[in-house]
Amino acid sequence: MLLADFLNTLVWWQWGLLALVPPAILALYFLKLRREPLAVPSTYLWSRAIEDLHVNSLWQRLRQSLLLFLQLLLIGLLAFTLLRPGWEGSKLEGERFIFLIDTSASMAATDVGPSRLDDAKRQAIGMIEQMKPENAAMVISFSDVARVETPFTNNRRTLRSKVELIEQTNRPSDINEALRAASGLANPGQTGDPNNPLDNPAAEAMPATMYLLSDGGFTGAVNFRAGNLKSVYLKTAGEEQANVAIVAFSTEVNPEKPDRVQAFARLENYGAAETTVEASLFLNDTLLDAKKVELPARDDKNKLPGRSGVNFEMQEIESGILKLQIAEKDHLLADNTAWAVVNLPRPAKVLLITPGNDALELALRTDEAQKIADVSTAEPTLLESKAYADQAAEGAYDLIIYDQCSPKTMPACNTLFIGRVPPAEKPAAAPAAPAAPAAEAAPGAAAKVQGWEAGPKQGPPIIIDTDQVHPLTQLMQMNNVLVIAGTPLKGPPGTVTLVDSDIGALYAVGPRGGYEDAVLGFDIITYTANGEREANTNWPRRRSFPVFVMNAVKYLGGVRSSLASPSIQPGEPAVLRTATPVANIKVQTPRKDQFEIPRELQNTYVFGRTDELGIYDIREGTGQKVTQQFAVNLFDSRESDLTPADKVTFGNEDIQAKSGKQAARQELWKWLLLGAIGVLIFEWYIYNRRVYL
Amino acid sequence: MPETLASPLLSPQLLAQLERLELVSRKIFRGRMKGERKSKRKGQSVEFADFRQYVPGDDLRFLDWNLFARMERLYLKLFLEEEDLHFYALIDTSGSMDFGEPTKLQFAKQLAASLGFIGLCRADRVKIETLGTSNRKPGPALRGRSSLWRMMDYLEGIESGGNVSLIDGVKNFCLRNSGKGILVLISDLMDKEGYDKALRFLVAQQMDVYVIHTLCPEELNPEVKGDLKLIDCEDDDVAEVTISRPLMDKYKRTLASFVDGAREFCTRRGMSYLMTSTETPVETLVANYLRKRGLVR
Repeated sequence: MLLADFLNTLVWWQWGLLALVPPAILALYFLKLRREPLAVPSTYLWSRAIEDLHVNSLWQRLRQSLLLFLQLLLIGLLAFTLLRPGWEGSKLEGERFIFLIDTSASMAATDVGPSRLDDAKRQAIGMIEQMKPENAAMVISFSDVARVETPFTNNRRTLRSKVELIEQTNRPSDINEALRAASGLANPGQTGDPNNPLDNPAAEAMPATMYLLSDGGFTGAVNFRAGNLKSVYLKTAGEEQANVAIVAFSTEVNPEKPDRVQAFARLENYGAAETTVEASLFLNDTLLDAKKVELPARDDKNKLPGRSGVNFEMQEIESGILKLQIAEKDHLLADNTAWAVVNLPRPAKVLLITPGNDALELALRTDEAQKIADVSTAEPTLLESKAYADQAAEGAYDLIIYDQCSPKTMPACNTLFIGRVPPAEKPAAAPAAPAAPAAEAAPGAAAKVQGWEAGPKQGPPIIIDTDQVHPLTQLMQMNNVLVIAGTPLKGPPGTVTLVDSDIGALYAVGPRGGYEDAVLGFDIITYTANGEREANTNWPRRRSFPVFVMNAVKYLGGVRSSLASPSIQPGEPAVLRTATPVANIKVQTPRKDQFEIPRELQNTYVFGRTDELGIYDIREGTGQKVTQQFAVNLFDSRESDLTPADKVTFGNEDIQAKSGKQAARQELWKWLLLGAIGVLIFEWYIYNRRVYL
Repeated sequence: MPETLASPLLSPQLLAQLERLELVSRKIFRGRMKGERKSKRKGQSVEFADFRQYVPGDDLRFLDWNLFARMERLYLKLFLEEEDLHFYALIDTSGSMDFGEPTKLQFAKQLAASLGFIGLCRADRVKIETLGTSNRKPGPALRGRSSLWRMMDYLEGIESGGNVSLIDGVKNFCLRNSGKGILVLISDLMDKEGYDKALRFLVAQQMDVYVIHTLCPEELNPEVKGDLKLIDCEDDDVAEVTISRPLMDKYKRTLASFVDGAREFCTRRGMSYLMTSTETPVETLVANYLRKRGLVR
């Protein structure tokens, strides 16, 4: 657009006042121009000189009244400035606007300077500047959650300052929530069913134009119905992107050499050129090792990044922070560093309640098991005691194994039931009648439970399949195991069958609140009516039995199989546990902000402010010692992939990207003001120095 | 030298310096009276020049009788004639001459006095007039050193004013003084009607004309600024100017072309032209510049 566009900033009477200024200057100028008389020998030469100059007299007159000319120019420039001339960017359509500003991790990319988010904010401010006084706008920032920065207002100053205050996050993108917030006023009171004739809007619909300032790095909102909302997608991204990201980083003990630790990382290249990066591994900021990694270029046809892995081998690490860094000056720095925390292994607290089970007790007494678990054994009579009830309720144990017995209420921890099913959860707190002594509570009798159900005892079941993927049944070979009698299991929703037989599931694991209950559908040892022990299976003599016990202790006891604590993605809540129950813990973010987290019901502490990348320190209770740490890493292929989307899909509508380059209004007034100041300085110089052109 | 001569116009040192000089004319003029000057004409004097044969009608008093006695032929003795020189100084007394420090008029008087003194010392006929001199009351014709007083008195009495245009002044002068001789015109030539007509009268006079164009520093390098109403001191003509660099440049170019024009005009017509500033001391002007021009020796 060549023609400048004006925004009037004054009302008519103010313009009238301004219009009086030039005549006033002229009047003052002529009043001022009382020429000083000076007698000279002869005006002969002067007249001739003046005559010659009068040949181009208009210009000469201008020259003579240079000061007047400059003053008028100054006033002209200032008046022009008050008109706010500029070049419109993309024209704002409609009267109400919604600015949706993406703050997800990929918006930190620097392919447009200084960053995509800054560019988006600049564009949004540019559009806000273009708003007419009667227009209203609202600002929503979104990552995986949406935040209404300001509701509809026509106060440009508020809008501008709110946009300026929007901060970059490291979270993934999810536009759905933002769209719901945006469409709330445009399409009020909908129940969401577009075909429902009774779905009358509660308020008058307010059509609005939604400007989405994003790189499009999210899945479309398929269920979104635009209604009165008109969407414009302003792509905020540079022409070319280069980014190498660490998308996974973990540490494992080398299974072949237990004294060695391996660190694995997966790198992805989203740039159009193949590249070689240097990956450096640090332990507590001391360089351990560095390797060069070659990464192929991004496959544009299949939209797949160039992938490569890197692994490091090192001595055993007790605890510490491993940091992997790639030295690559790419457009997104957040994904160039990954952290992994190697915490001191905490032995699981395991309570075995059994009337007597040599095989199980032996399996729990092996050196390996002793290393990872702190096992205590008790008789089923313990279940009646107050001490047990308290301990179970406050989560003193990580895992309770109920062998041939079952509690009245479920404890606040993971459980493994052998030959029994968990009791039904009672909605009321009062523990009612069905006291189930261990001896009489046969699996069949407990079949009434809600949630877990056990079928009639049948035998002998033939084991068909074992889930080799689930950690509870990893490496378990069950085909040589004979079972005399078992009950088919049926768990609550979400239950995973681990061992399947011809009569049904024999081993399953199901969720219960924040915990998991694993149930084995057959006894290992049974007692006859006269108290004689009878083996129900030959399993204890098979190799898979200790594996089963170890898996159960590791998985249900919360013992990590990997050395490092699991990494958390930004914005994801971190569920923390402590060795001993304390009222609250303190979490310190990488930016050294401290938050106190109270204990939740199930002996967990949920920390939600995981927006920053890096290492979070945890202190328990009033202690000053850092007892645990966890790492927040980006590890998000979608965010690391900086390639902007050319269109976004809202509902059944594809919205093509408009390049955001011209979106903002180009203002001229600053330059005009600078020019006016220049004119003023020039005028002052001429006035003082009496220099004439 | 009597000390009373130490008038503001001529200092004793200047007088002593001037005494040694004499006025020179490039043309042969016939003086009316015998002067101290050897003429190129042969005539009566004590200085022998040549012989020539007698032709009837010659003055018998100049026959060389000794030669007749020896050779019995009549020869006439020829002597170099000594004659006087007419020196005129014409001073512009218009109002514009009253500017400068010293004023141009004062400068002109000094110059006229200096040259007049040289003439008086050499027994030349010295006549100093102004442009305003009326035909009825011409300036005194002076001769001999004793006339210095009269010359000084006359010069002291000259005042600026009486706006006579250059043309009228020169015309009147020419009418009054038809004789030949040296004329020194001291003027700033600032006449709105131009100087060329006036100078043409002098060309017709067949005088040995020297134009001393006298300008003051205010005219050569005017130090003025701002918005000015310039008032001509002679005719109250007003020129409104805003001093600017191009105007100043233009003024200087105009001045230069004015001076060049005058010089060219004079040179073409056999007049000697000398532009001088009132800042130049008279002794320097006489001893150096005019000497080089051949006015004094």
